[in-house]
Amino acid sequence: MFKTSKWRFLSIVLVVILSVALFAGCAKEEEPVATETEKEKDAEPTPDPGPVEIEIFQFKVEMAQDLDAAAREFEKAFPNVTVVIQTVGGGDDYGAALRAKFASGEEPTIFNIGGPQDVEDWKHKVADLSGEPWVELAHPGILSGVTVGNEIFGLPFNIEGYGFVYNKSIFADAGIDASKIVDFESLEAAVIELDAKIQAGDLKDKYPNLEAVFDLPAKENWVTGLHTSNAVLAQEFASSIEAFEAAEVQFTYGDALKALIDLQANFSPHADNKYRLNAVDYATQVDMGLAIERVAIIQQGNWVFGGVKGIDENVANNLGFLPFPVKGAIEDSIPVGVPMHWAVNKDSGDAEIEAAKEFLNWLYTSDVGKNFIVNEFFFIPPLKGFDDFPPADPLAKSIIEFAEAGRTMPWVFMGYPSGWGMDILGNQIQKYLAGKITWDEVISVSIDEWAILRK
Amino acid sequence: MKNSKFWFFTFVGPVLVTFIIVVIIPTLMGIYFSFTNWDGINHNPDWIGLSNYFAIFERGGDFLDSFVFTAKFAATTVVTINLIGFGLALLVTGKIKYSNAVRSVFFMPNLIGGLILGFVWQFIFTNVFSHVGGVLGLDFLQGWLATTATGFWGLVIVMTWQLSGYMMIIYIAALQNIPKSLIEAAEIDGATSWQKLTGITIPLVAPALTIGLFLTLSNSFKLFDQNLSLTGGGPFNSTEMLALNIFRTAFVFSQFGRAQAKAVVFLIVVAIITLTQIYFSKRKEVEM
Amino acid sequence: MGRKNNKRTILSVVAIILSAIFLSPLFIVLTNSFKTRKGIFLDVLSLPFGEFFNPINYVIAFERLNFLNAFKNSMLITVISVVVIIIFTSSAAWMLVRTKSKMSTFIFFMFAGAMLIPFQSVMLPLVRWMGILGFLNPRGLIFMYLGFGSSLSIILYHGFIKNIPKELEEAATIDGCNKFQVFWYIVFPLLKPITMTVAILNSMWIWNDFLLPQLVINRAEWHTIPLRMFFFFGQFAKEWDLGLAGLTISMIPIIVFYIFAQRYIVKGLMEGSIK
Repeated sequence: MFKTSKWRFLSIVLVVILSVALFAGCAKEEEPVATETEKEKDAEPTPDPGPVEIEIFQFKVEMAQDLDAAAREFEKAFPNVTVVIQTVGGGDDYGAALRAKFASGEEPTIFNIGGPQDVEDWKHKVADLSGEPWVELAHPGILSGVTVGNEIFGLPFNIEGYGFVYNKSIFADAGIDASKIVDFESLEAAVIELDAKIQAGDLKDKYPNLEAVFDLPAKENWVTGLHTSNAVLAQEFASSIEAFEAAEVQFTYGDALKALIDLQANFSPHADNKYRLNAVDYATQVDMGLAIERVAIIQQGNWVFGGVKGIDENVANNLGFLPFPVKGAIEDSIPVGVPMHWAVNKDSGDAEIEAAKEFLNWLYTSDVGKNFIVNEFFFIPPLKGFDDFPPADPLAKSIIEFAEAGRTMPWVFMGYPSGWGMDILGNQIQKYLAGKITWDEVISVSIDEWAILRK
Repeated sequence: MKNSKFWFFTFVGPVLVTFIIVVIIPTLMGIYFSFTNWDGINHNPDWIGLSNYFAIFERGGDFLDSFVFTAKFAATTVVTINLIGFGLALLVTGKIKYSNAVRSVFFMPNLIGGLILGFVWQFIFTNVFSHVGGVLGLDFLQGWLATTATGFWGLVIVMTWQLSGYMMIIYIAALQNIPKSLIEAAEIDGATSWQKLTGITIPLVAPALTIGLFLTLSNSFKLFDQNLSLTGGGPFNSTEMLALNIFRTAFVFSQFGRAQAKAVVFLIVVAIITLTQIYFSKRKEVEM
Repeated sequence: MGRKNNKRTILSVVAIILSAIFLSPLFIVLTNSFKTRKGIFLDVLSLPFGEFFNPINYVIAFERLNFLNAFKNSMLITVISVVVIIIFTSSAAWMLVRTKSKMSTFIFFMFAGAMLIPFQSVMLPLVRWMGILGFLNPRGLIFMYLGFGSSLSIILYHGFIKNIPKELEEAATIDGCNKFQVFWYIVFPLLKPITMTVAILNSMWIWNDFLLPQLVINRAEWHTIPLRMFFFFGQFAKEWDLGLAGLTISMIPIIVFYIFAQRYIVKGLMEGSIK
């Protein structure tokens, strides 16, 4: 009896070992598997490609339905191509889902990458798109985040801008002229004036919910750690690539960052209990803040438009941007950049790669595609040639006005070391608001961690 | 003998093989990756020995902090969930009106998925609490989830709310197993309710306690969904529990090798804790 | 007698108050699911009457969830997985109980020990490995659910079967039944209460599971309800009005199932958890 059970045990161990061996073997066999599928595709002559299926793996649930509609239109123009769209919901899990997707071997043809760090991480997978027709149409500098040498690895989704989004009618009713706000000093003066009127109850009748000038969502590390800090570090780095290559950060304008944080915190509903800002999230700031006119200004981008519109269309149509002033440096501009890119998987079959390039090109250069970009996705186009498609919403218009006046600064946060902006700097700012550390510590810890993460 | 071996594998084989493929092999693969510099994309990472393990303890103050936080959380919820679960079980078996409906109500929180539940509770803590606090003038209801303490208690409340109904079911089962004659005999001897509870009920329910403790302990240690959607680890990662810490090491910092090393350490420690718990509970059972 | 009645009333009141506390979050979900988004954000505690009453949420959520299709997928995956889990784990647990050997004990503890493995730590290797084996999409998902669901199910069955007297099985064996017949005709019917417990615990988990389907299902037409639910929770904006309506719709099937099965659960655990 004892003997047999020992045998049984051994056989189990054997099964496990065998299975592991199987796995190890498979890991190396990956290459041939890929070429095999390629061969299959090669069998089909390129001039007349048979049916081709491309898969798009993307994360913007807001545009999932419209993107699907666009794909159906594309299929009408290119009947041999089928476009399958996979959308990952839930917000910030895209990185995890994308890695899992690739790990499973079911690799998508088109996927999303951010900036230089993603290009670096995915450099074995992304195809060079520098030969595409839309490259010529790109606004200057807009491709810098995905350019390595002569190669271009991504098509920008769109242009986004952020800054201080303000409610024009509250300003008008408070008698404040927003056009006079051109630097930090004038912004601060306007904020103080508005705050005085709110506290005095002057605006109570028309805006019963109004309780403060700002709300600062310190819980959302990306707002403070990436966006607020970006304005300040854009004075130090000219582009995300420069930030990506920097071994150290100086924080020359660290005090300007403090000024931006303090201003928002001091004129928020939690000015007397700043630690409570650490529980303020995006919904509180936007949906339960700006949209119901509980606050007059928030630091956010043009992406808030859709959400605000879903709550109160009048408020949404009365929004605009104020400058996002970096005290002592550029004070009259807003940060404008590219949040995401479309990348093509170079391990897909040739026919798939061609179809994928064709789709992206069609989406951004054909009239049908352009209409989707501007009027369905509500994107600010990253390319020239959209003159017939004026932007649809007031925030997009406001950004274009800033851009045309040359009052923009770049997005460099895509070049921060992985995790630095949100998990290091964002957390330090939370500690600062909770009164656990001084501002000097925020800066010194962040400087040290940058250097460590760059090693 | 040969025959019984055949039957053994026919019955146990399918699920065992599935289990080995689905659970054991990925675990072993994870252990292998913990010795590499895997980034989650490249499938042939370099072997770097124990570096990841050293790195965890060297520069991983965050891992240790998560550990302490998770341990505190588990210790607290083990008490609250089992106490409340047992209390509920006593209540609903105590001849009350609408007993069945009440049972269903207590069990209902189990029927919703963790992620969405976390979103809903976040809404409740940050809005309903401050609203109610404002109306009643209770200052401690303000600013929930903004501090480590309220984040901790928020997680405890959600977890207790969700799991105590589950434990209640287990304790109901145990309570109903107690022979009526024992209780009746005690009543004839003039025992008070308290004496009946401590002298008969609790000792006889002790075996159920073993599984109750095991389930709460392992669930609390592994908690992920509610942690992610309720506090997201904030403020300043001070409420980040182990599973979330591991997840973020992998997907935020792209250090998959190190994340796997953390997972291995985590698994070993949890195994030691729960096995110790089972060992002692079992011994206690025998003594009782 | 009067004292006893008093006590009963007090306990009932306590139970009702506690029920109200337990239900309050779900009540908030329900009331807000009937409001416009503005109504939700202006005052989450207000009841859905007046200008913010907006039952159309349900119609839109129903459409956007592609509910019938998602429901079919969720149902199919949950039911098949649960049936597979029940068949394989009950028979395995029976054999593990009835075979007294070190190996049998070892296997049992291996299953129990795996309860401690956090899913997030095996997730990437798992997906990679499943991809190599070609076990993706609903078929692979069901296979994985059997693997992950086996631990708790085997523990529960194991505990229950221990308390079943062997005599019946022995009598049947003498009558010439083989092991399959013994298990299927004699043992399995006795397991009904614990089977219901295993069924409901696994259904709850599989019905609500988000992460695993998200990782392995890669066709929109195979999306389960939780996957579609997350379309209301985007990178920035969360469409709470639709999300809460969707949540309510998606809870209904599992609640119905629970109410139908609940009387068996206690019975099952009664003998199951107590070894």
